[in-house]
Amino acid sequence: MPFVILFVHAAAAIAAVVTANRSRVTAVVAAALAPATAAVWGFTALLDPDTARAASFTWVEGLQLGFDFELSPIAALLTFAIGVIGTLIVIYAHGYFGTPEPTLGRFLATLTIFGGSMLGLVWADSVWTLFLFWEATSVTSFLLVGHKHAGSGARTAARRALMITGAGGLILLAGMMVLIDATGTHLLSEMEAVTGTTATVAAVLLVVAAATKSALVPFHVWLPGAMAAPTPVSAYLHSATMVKAGVVLVAIVSPILGGTDAFTYLAVGLGAATMFWGAIGALRQRDAKLILAWGTVSQLGFLVLLFGVGSAKATFAGVAVLAAHAVFKAGLFMIVGEVDIRTGTRDITELGGLHRSMPVAAVVATLCGLSMAGVPPLVGFPAKEAAVEAALGLAGTERLIISAAVIAGSVLTVAYTAHFLLGVFGPNTAGPNAANVDTPVRPRRMAMTAPAALLATASVLGWLFDGTASKPITRAAAALNPKADVYELINWPGATTAFFVSAGIVAVGAALGVARSRMLLDVPRTIGANAADGLLDETLVIARRITARGQHGSLPVYVVTMAFVIAAASLIFVRPAVDSVGELPLADSPGQLALAIATVLAAWGCTRVDSRIGAALALGVVGLAVTGLFVVQGAPDLVLTQLLVETVIVVGFVIGLGRLRRSFPVTGARWQQIRALVAGLCAAGVAAALIAAEGAASSATAPPTERLVTEAVEEGGGNNIVNVILTDVRALDTLGEIVVLAVAALGVIALGRPALMTAKTPISPPTREEVRA
Amino acid sequence: MISVHSPIVAVGVRAVTPLAVVVAAYLFFAGHNQPGGGFSAGLVLGAVLSLRTVAGLYHPVNGSKLMAAGIMVAAAVALVPAAIGGGMLDMVVWSGELPLLGKVKTGTAAIFDIGVVLIVVGLVDAVLDGLGTDDIAIETPASTRGAQ
Repeated sequence: MPFVILFVHAAAAIAAVVTANRSRVTAVVAAALAPATAAVWGFTALLDPDTARAASFTWVEGLQLGFDFELSPIAALLTFAIGVIGTLIVIYAHGYFGTPEPTLGRFLATLTIFGGSMLGLVWADSVWTLFLFWEATSVTSFLLVGHKHAGSGARTAARRALMITGAGGLILLAGMMVLIDATGTHLLSEMEAVTGTTATVAAVLLVVAAATKSALVPFHVWLPGAMAAPTPVSAYLHSATMVKAGVVLVAIVSPILGGTDAFTYLAVGLGAATMFWGAIGALRQRDAKLILAWGTVSQLGFLVLLFGVGSAKATFAGVAVLAAHAVFKAGLFMIVGEVDIRTGTRDITELGGLHRSMPVAAVVATLCGLSMAGVPPLVGFPAKEAAVEAALGLAGTERLIISAAVIAGSVLTVAYTAHFLLGVFGPNTAGPNAANVDTPVRPRRMAMTAPAALLATASVLGWLFDGTASKPITRAAAALNPKADVYELINWPGATTAFFVSAGIVAVGAALGVARSRMLLDVPRTIGANAADGLLDETLVIARRITARGQHGSLPVYVVTMAFVIAAASLIFVRPAVDSVGELPLADSPGQLALAIATVLAAWGCTRVDSRIGAALALGVVGLAVTGLFVVQGAPDLVLTQLLVETVIVVGFVIGLGRLRRSFPVTGARWQQIRALVAGLCAAGVAAALIAAEGAASSATAPPTERLVTEAVEEGGGNNIVNVILTDVRALDTLGEIVVLAVAALGVIALGRPALMTAKTPISPPTREEVRA
Repeated sequence: MISVHSPIVAVGVRAVTPLAVVVAAYLFFAGHNQPGGGFSAGLVLGAVLSLRTVAGLYHPVNGSKLMAAGIMVAAAVALVPAAIGGGMLDMVVWSGELPLLGKVKTGTAAIFDIGVVLIVVGLVDAVLDGLGTDDIAIETPASTRGAQ
């Protein structure tokens, strides 16, 4: 089934691109169908959790190459969330983009591929599969963030996101390799809990990798910038997908690495820092979308903190907040997009009176916002309640620190929620245009309002039917921590300590938020964004400088450089070559010796002649003499191939020589000396390497020829071993080689064509734009 | 100007062309048990192709398209077995009796080899194209018929 769903995503992406310009509805339906199938599959898994759902495809047995998917309880929950929210996002995007929208096909296709990558990531059981899809989400999110690539802001933001999440992908790969070393298996479902130095290294690497993806401090700088993306992208990436990948990673490795101090300290530390910094960032913003973006950063820190604590109750609370956050944050982003489209601005200092002019959006946003703040009657409340209880349920210093972090973070969350809701929908009190005039709005678009309203309704239903909603959450938490299976969401806990603490949190937070919304602050630039961009720009400048130095365009210098490197690399063979040179015969036969001498003479002659045609002829003699050597050794296949290659090359020379002067250009004496020296060194080095290889082969056991012969005749069914090896036994190598051939030919065309063009047409002075570029 | 148009070369190359095609076909099928195979066959065709180019004769070949076709053929041979439940690049061998030819043995490896032929021919043509052979006077199909 996983493969079918991934295939549906690929097909839907193609269908969206093909049909978007002809029939917009067809493209939207195609793109919506793909996440819908995932949602249905996820839903059946939630209804029937006892059936194991796994699929794998093995490509190369011993190398663990292939795909391994397994639908764990947490994966089932996420699949359902990703599928449902993905479907709603596609419908929302239909409303968000005006008509006509030429880029809609590209947008829907990228979004669909991104959704498929995210599903693959969630389902992955093999760490390699996880890595592959992790990288796929990085690349596709880069494309989505940079969708409006005409603007330099979107390009910078996309590049920053790719740099940080891409670097995180490499750290993930390193961490996974260490983890495999520590646990002895590449399947996540088979990994046992480990401790020790290796596990500590793995824990550090994996938490840092998760931090890049989930925008934890100090890697959070990419997330606010990613708001340059169209709002459907923000609503999808920053609710159920992309940023959740890091949290999910922390969650699934928490049973394995949770025993190491590094994992706990790092996850809790980064989580707490991110929770504070994100919330403070949200309070400082005036752009409604950026308030939500920073709020997302804060919530991600909260989630990583909960999974880092690792107690059963905290794990349960983590899964609950994870699910609740996906629902309310997607809804909130959708509302921001609707406000943006209908009023033309997202700056809360310019918005006023929207609670009157956009009543449906106001209600939906209030419901989602209260869920984010953790207020009943919304599903965010029992989730937040579980987190508070988990913090209070710890013991000793841990209890003090975690409780303080959770309570303070929650207070700030309530504060920025109030700041957001009052800023967007309340009267315009703080801005320079604080005239209490209502902002004019355009007509409602149902495709935008309906998905958000559905999500708000889901938040209410989740609170009402707390028993039903908590079942999959409890199962997912129990899969991570078996002790968690006793907990469930409680919509009205009564007079518990946690309840009073929550009430206090809401009261203090609301007061803070109301106070904040009356102040007018300057919008700060993201701290660290300059550093990230500067690092990237500086890297590009250095790269350009190195390229200009290395790629100077002089063919002779390239050739001499390559020969020198070969000579230097062959130095290690000198010693074994000297050892074994005495044991080898001078030649196998007199004919071989004669041909070898002819080869050397022709090669030497090639370097001594002045005319190009003479050099080409001498090279031909070299080729034929080598062919003769193959004849002497009894290798007819090589003879045939070598002769044919020589033939084709002769024709190539005829064409090439026609374009060049008859004789070689005159070069300086010093350059000639360098060339001769390097050529001599290179020849000596290669000779040493060959002698060493021959010496090693003669002392080794029987060559593998015999096995190949039997394999070729029995499996390939042919007597020409060489060809059977090429087309059957080692056909994969051949496939790779012919692809290389084709790529090389493309290179020749790409290099040759423009050179010929410029040679034929007079060069015109560059235009002003070209100079600036 | 690369070459002065020489009628002797042109007639010679034209006479050689069908022979080369036959040799290429022989090498292709002989390759199973004797020296030859897709690479050699492709090189023979490539050699005659480049000769025709130099001689200024018409050649109905588009290197880029040939290479694309070759890669698709080879990739199909590689992926179809995986798609129908086998391993990647699993090969099948058929053998049977044909009139005149007697016992014949072939398989999917031969199809794979066709991909190799296409890529080698396409490569030669693409490289010639990259070297800028299009300013050599090329006859059109109509003039070919007129000359014969």
